[in-house]
Parts: sequence; structure tokens; C-alpha cells
Amino acid sequence: MTADTLAVGRSRKLGRTFGARHLFTPVAICAVLLALYAWVGTLELDSIEQRSLNRAVIVTKAVEHIQMTVAATTLVVIIAIPLGIAASRSRNRLITPIILTVGNLGQAVPSIGLLVLATFLMGVGFQTALVGLVAYAVLPVLRNTMVGVQQVDPALIEAARGMGMTRGQILRRVELKLAVPAILAGLRTALVLTVGVATLGAFVAAGGFGELIVNGLKLNRMPVTIVGGVLTACIAFFIDWLGGLAEDLLKPRGM
Amino acid sequence: MFDRDTEGVRIELRSLTKHYPGQPAPAVDNVTLDIPAGELVVFVGPSGCGKTTTMKMINRLVEPTSGEIRIGGQDVLSLDPDQLRRHIGYAIQQVGLFPHQTIAQNIGLVPNLLGWTADRISARVDELLSLVNLEPSAFRDRYPRQLSGGQQQRVGVARALAADPPVMLMDEPFGATDPITREHLQNEFVKLQKQLRKTIIFVTHDFEEAIKLGDRIAVLREGSHIAQYDTPAAILADPADDYVANFIGQDATLKRLALMRVSEVPATESPAGPGLPQVSADASLREALDTMIAHGADRCSTPAGVLTYAALCEAVGTRSGEQEDVVSSDR
Repeated sequence: MTADTLAVGRSRKLGRTFGARHLFTPVAICAVLLALYAWVGTLELDSIEQRSLNRAVIVTKAVEHIQMTVAATTLVVIIAIPLGIAASRSRNRLITPIILTVGNLGQAVPSIGLLVLATFLMGVGFQTALVGLVAYAVLPVLRNTMVGVQQVDPALIEAARGMGMTRGQILRRVELKLAVPAILAGLRTALVLTVGVATLGAFVAAGGFGELIVNGLKLNRMPVTIVGGVLTACIAFFIDWLGGLAEDLLKPRGM
Repeated sequence: MFDRDTEGVRIELRSLTKHYPGQPAPAVDNVTLDIPAGELVVFVGPSGCGKTTTMKMINRLVEPTSGEIRIGGQDVLSLDPDQLRRHIGYAIQQVGLFPHQTIAQNIGLVPNLLGWTADRISARVDELLSLVNLEPSAFRDRYPRQLSGGQQQRVGVARALAADPPVMLMDEPFGATDPITREHLQNEFVKLQKQLRKTIIFVTHDFEEAIKLGDRIAVLREGSHIAQYDTPAAILADPADDYVANFIGQDATLKRLALMRVSEVPATESPAGPGLPQVSADASLREALDTMIAHGADRCSTPAGVLTYAALCEAVGTRSGEQEDVVSSDR
């Protein structure tokens, strides 16, 4: 009886939070985009501005920007989650500080400097931009995976071992499942960071909205810079919103 | 693994020792103990005496430094630890139910590891939920968070019983509940064990619990040395040394009274008049004494006749002076 009420209460609460929190962000993004469109429409654009602010260019830059973000995040997932698991194992106690230091370095070294270094090695382009993005975004996912796995109640691990689960089974069926909320939170942070840092891709000719911002600044065309900046922010908010949805949908039931 | 028989099998510990590296004294020092098939043996002792370590060596959560463990005649140290643990029930104080799995998934975990079919697991889950007095249809699909502490402990016991192991290890499985729930769970568990006759090793620091549940009690001291290993009645009647007497506490005789039923004492007189306080046949002698004191009487009426204070004293073998010795030997 109590539990039934509890369950109903939970699902109702979920519905309500979806209504308020999960609808606010897309509505706000749409409003900002409409306002931006309306504002640009009132401006007299000169030929330089027209070359940047037209549908074809903006769609191309948006696609480039999202491609960079998605590719970098995929690499981050592939690199950071296994590293985070490795760092969480007590038998790897000795290499954990090394893993964390490398992750910290990636974030501490200025991305622009890293991009310049990568350019010397790899030339300009999409792949060079990825190096900088991945280095920057590994840390949140790595650290959250590690902490998420480590914070699983030791009593659960003991019970699991006592029932004859192998170490692999404990990792897959218990530790990782329970770490999902933490890992997703780290991934969400990484994605939002990546969207922002991807503007630096403009410096290594990888495209993205960074090009609008940089061109606007170089040519002293304020509207171009503003459009690039606002659109980048809108993508960041949108991805953060998706991340929030994913956290609610993918977190294990019963928690 | 240890026979097809799921009733209890014998457990033998031979010179079992655990010495953690870097520590001056072994945590468990040369323990030799026989646990007869189908009996519930309680390891009781103060915190840090090595009772849990001794228990955990049996399912090899702790690897022994030296010594031998046999379950049903089979050498445990020669088996694969994970396989071994799937055939030994294990329940711990923190219960350790997986919060992301339903009660049915939690209970069905070991059968699932053993490769049972889904139908067989589901039937077993329902059977076990009924066994621990939880309505299967109401609890099967709930999550641990939605259960009270006492209900979670029951699920913990059901989970340990899931694959019908001949041997169960229980580390204070009722420790984290309030006294009323604990007493209730203990009573249910005593009934359950009468039915199942598993070989159970039960660890606790609560001597009352040990008396209530144990067929035998092993009182352990530092390094898991066995101070005394006997039935509760024998330990209460004749503690081996001061350490055991201390552990029992001041009220050994009262505890012994609690072990005996009214029906075990011959009624001394024919059925008595309505003035006497009543006790039932399966009440303990301690409850009978309580009734007498509460009514200021020296006798009470039982279904078989009348139980007098003198008969009660005789039943626990009290002679004048002897009780005095037991108490003073504590000091």
C-alpha cells in the first residue's frame, strides 16, 4: 500500500518535472532563435555580412560544429570510460594518479596552445581540432566514471561476491549500472564543454560557428560575431537539455 | 556440488589460520571445529575476535593462510571460489540488495548465475517470498528502496536460500533492525530452520540471539580461539571459564529459564482453582516466572496442572549456594 502510493507519487513527480524543467529549455531556445532572426532581419547587411549570414553558410557551419562535437564526444566515451574504470580498480592503485594527472593536464593546458602544437604535427583540419577537443573533455567523463564506480556501496560488492558473481559480472551488472547517473552527468558536462571549445576549430580550419565569430571580429562586423556566439550558446543549451533527458530516461529504475 | 541433497551437510574446519601480512598476531589462529549436518551453529564473541573472518574463509571471501575446510567431505580450497559461493547461501547485516533490481531479480540472482530457466526461477522466487512471509504478487516487482528494513532482511534471507544451498553463512543478518522486528524475524527464522535443516553458521555478538537461535554456540575469544563449544543449555549451566561466564552476563539462570518450556516441567499438583495466574504450555519458564512475580504468587496454573516456584528452581538445577558461585565467579 505504502509502496504503491510511493510509486504513483514518483511517476507523477516525473511527469511534472518533465512539464516544467524539460519544456523550458527548448521553448527558451526557440524564443532566442526567433529574436535573433528578427533582429538580423531589421539590419541592413553589407556584402561582407551577407557572405556570412545566409542560410547555406549557417547550415554548413552548424553541421560542422555538431559533427566536431559528436565525433569528439564519441572518442571521449571510448577513451575516458575504460580509463575511468581502470582508475577505479583498487589493484590499479599505483596508476590511478597517473591517469588522473593526464586527464587534468588535458584540461589545464590551454586548448588554443594544444591546437597550435597539434597543427605542427598534423597540419590543419577536422582531425587536429578533435585532438584539442578530446584532450579537453576527457577529464569530466574519466573522473565521473571513476567516482561513480567507486561510490558503489561496498556492502553490495560483498554481497555480490558472496553469491558467486565473478569480478566481470560485478562490474557489468552492479558497479557500472549503479554508476550510470554519474557517468551521464560527466558526459553531459563534457558535451557542453566541447560545444564551447569547438569554436576554436576556426583557428585550424575545421569550420563550425567559431568561423563566424572569428570572421566577425577580424572584419569588425558585430552582427556576424553575435550570430555565431548566440548560435553556439543555443547548441550548448540544446545538448545540455538532451543530456538531462538522457539522465532521467537511462538512470536505473529503483533508485 | 556437495551432493544433490539440499539438506545440511557437515562442515569441518581443521587448523584454520588467517594471518594478515604486516600484523603481529593472526586474526584467526589455528581453529579446529566440527559443525554437524543440519545444525545451526552460532559464532559469538566480541567485535574483532575474528568470528566474521572465520566465517568468510568458509566461502573463501577471505583466503586462509593455512588449514583445511571440508564441506560434506569435499575440500573447499580445491574448488573454484565463484562456483563454491554459488552453492553456499550468504546473508549479511547490511543485506546488500541491489537497488537497481526488483525483489524478484535480487532473489533470482544465484539461480540465474547457475543457469536455471526463467520459469523455474520465477516459481522459486514466489515460493521463497511466501516462505519468508511476503506476499509474492505484492513484492515481486518492487524495488528494495520501497521496502522497510525488516522486509529487506527477509528478502536477504530469501536470496541466500534461493538456490537451496545445503550450507548457509549468516553475518548478523538481523542486526540492522529494531528490537521488535528483530525478535519477530528471529522467531520466524527458528521455525524456518526447523523445516529446512540447513547447516548454518550464524555470526553475532549478541549472546541472547545466540541462545535463541543456536543448536550449538561457539564462544570465541581473540584470534577466534574457541573458549567453549556446546549447546546453549550446557554453556549456560556450566561456563568453561571466566571469559565465557562474563560473556553470558549476570543472569545465566534467567537465560536458562528462557530456554525451557513449561511443558517440559512435570506439573506438581492436580488442576487448580481459578485464582492462579495462567500460562500456556509452550510459554518459556522465564515467562512463567515473570507471571508469578507479576501476580505476587509462588505458583501458576498450566494446562497440565500447577507449576510451583520450587519446581521451577528444581528444573534449572538450583541448589542453595550454587547460584551464588556462578555469580561470584564473574567478578
